[in-house]
Amino acid sequence: MVSASEAFAAVSALTRRETGMIYDEGKEYLVEARLQPLATKAGCSFADYVTKILADPIERAKAMDALTINETSWFRDNAPYQAFTDVMLPDLLQARAATRRLRIWSAASSSGQEAYSIAMLLDQHLPPGWTSEIVASDYSPTMLDRVRAGRYSQVEMNRGLPATLLVKYFSRVGSEWEVAPHLRDMVTLRSQNLTAPFTGLGTFDLILLRNVLIYFEKDVRHDILRRMLPMLNPGGYFLIGSSETTLDSPPALAAAWQREQIGRVQVHRVAPALADRPTAPIAASLTGA
Amino acid sequence: MRALIIDDSRAMRSILRRIVNGLGFESAEAGDGQQALDVLESGFNPDICLIDWNMPVMDGYTFITKVRDNPEWRSMTLMMVTTESEQKQIVRALAAGAHEYVIKPFTPDAIADKLELLGLRATEVPA
Amino acid sequence: MTALAPELTDLQAVVEEVWSTFVGYEHPLCPRQVPPGTPLDASVWSGAVSVTGEWQGAVTVELADDVAQAISRVMLDLGDAETLADDDVADAVGELVNMIGGNVKSLMPGPSSLSLPAVAAGRAVFPSDAHEVARLDLTWTGEPVRITVHCPGSPR
Ligand SMILES: C[S@@+](CC[C@H](N)C(=O)[O-])C[C@H]1O[C@@H](n2cnc3c(N)ncnc32)[C@H](O)[C@@H]1O
Repeated sequence: MVSASEAFAAVSALTRRETGMIYDEGKEYLVEARLQPLATKAGCSFADYVTKILADPIERAKAMDALTINETSWFRDNAPYQAFTDVMLPDLLQARAATRRLRIWSAASSSGQEAYSIAMLLDQHLPPGWTSEIVASDYSPTMLDRVRAGRYSQVEMNRGLPATLLVKYFSRVGSEWEVAPHLRDMVTLRSQNLTAPFTGLGTFDLILLRNVLIYFEKDVRHDILRRMLPMLNPGGYFLIGSSETTLDSPPALAAAWQREQIGRVQVHRVAPALADRPTAPIAASLTGA
Repeated sequence: MRALIIDDSRAMRSILRRIVNGLGFESAEAGDGQQALDVLESGFNPDICLIDWNMPVMDGYTFITKVRDNPEWRSMTLMMVTTESEQKQIVRALAAGAHEYVIKPFTPDAIADKLELLGLRATEVPA
Repeated sequence: MTALAPELTDLQAVVEEVWSTFVGYEHPLCPRQVPPGTPLDASVWSGAVSVTGEWQGAVTVELADDVAQAISRVMLDLGDAETLADDDVADAVGELVNMIGGNVKSLMPGPSSLSLPAVAAGRAVFPSDAHEVARLDLTWTGEPVRITVHCPGSPR
């Protein structure tokens, strides 16, 4: 028989190991609220359910899925997207004039609002003759299914989506709204745990890793920031959440990420000394491999 | 920043008032489009109007067309907040001069997000 | 011709969305198993809106007295000690059925227009030339909540 606090400690250790996410003490209510429905479904008490997920990988995956925090919105914080349209995109259009191709990674995509927000901007601002690919990845299979479906409730639609874009890119399906097929075709899905190696993704001109680092411990955070460096094409941009920073990194890592201010938004780029590295995998971006 | 809340339901006005006041906006209220025009005539000069569609006396759509006819009110931002959610209706409201559109039901964040999108921010947000 | 009815799952989604955003998540809406035709025995409030145009119908919400009062307090931000007038309840129930009705309208082929809500302290009265095409029986804090959709004409 496990006590409630032992059960919580076990779940907390498990999520940390599996996803890097920290559920501190005081978050017991959150863990319980999210796992109780699964426990009820499995027909056992909360404590027994915890014992079960320790042993059963399938149930464990379900529990991890249920414990992710998926809060997101369209054009979240607005300013980064403004900066994309006004500064980053024009700059990238110059830098990539030879290949006329852009690759963008929404690296903790949640239900897809971030990826589709970028898709709408590309649809409007990418000149004819250019191609693009947006890779949306997440740890949660439920979230990836949602990106694939591209369907959003009324309440989700209201969160930050300009009305002009709602009528332009969405249509009503029952009580929900569905994103236009040509936007969905711009987005490729990948299951990717950020704590696992980034393989087979290719490299990107813009990476959005927003509002997910805050859930990780320092070491995990730094490890991810380090492994993101080679994922960016030369001259590419890296965006983190408005409450997130690279400044608390070890000096070498903090120096590798150069901070640049565009209006109210801070963007990151690979510091020039590193960008000259001979191994810059440009070829990979061309083939999209 | 000032907001004029136009809705025939006191309950809805109360919900919207708490949201915009929480964002640091001053607010005034009207129960239909005609009352709202009276409030505007009386000199309350809002930065934004939050407008319900279906109301007695004068509906929100008519209110928008009246406001757009008057050059003095050019700079005012108009946002529909309504349960009307047919795509055609949204297009109609935008064509008539609405800048934004929020469909009921909404969460408080939705109003905050849209005001941010419209570049409307109170200078001082009460703690 | 059989009148077009909203899908029950869509109706449920609409009601839950309105409920959770304006009443809160603290107490869930639960399904209530009752045979068709069971009257709401509690003392109730009712509100209705009608839709006319491409699709014709009426959306009605019936709420136990306690539910109507509780949601009115939440929506009007009134504390337990403050007095709640019938007028306040009528206003809040009216807005509730307006939101549900407007979203039901969008589930159906348009364009159509929505009436202003009509609210009564008591059970809903349905015209004899209309028939029920969809019904949700729910409970909230143990008290009944019913949403019905009626279309003109006789049932088939
Ligand atoms: C708060 S959402 C942020 C969504 C979006 N980037 C935004 O800024 O609005 C965080 C997302 O990170 C995902 N996530 C959490 N831990 C992860 C991990 N270890 N690997 C990949 N994704 C993870 C969650 O599933 C969730 O969808």
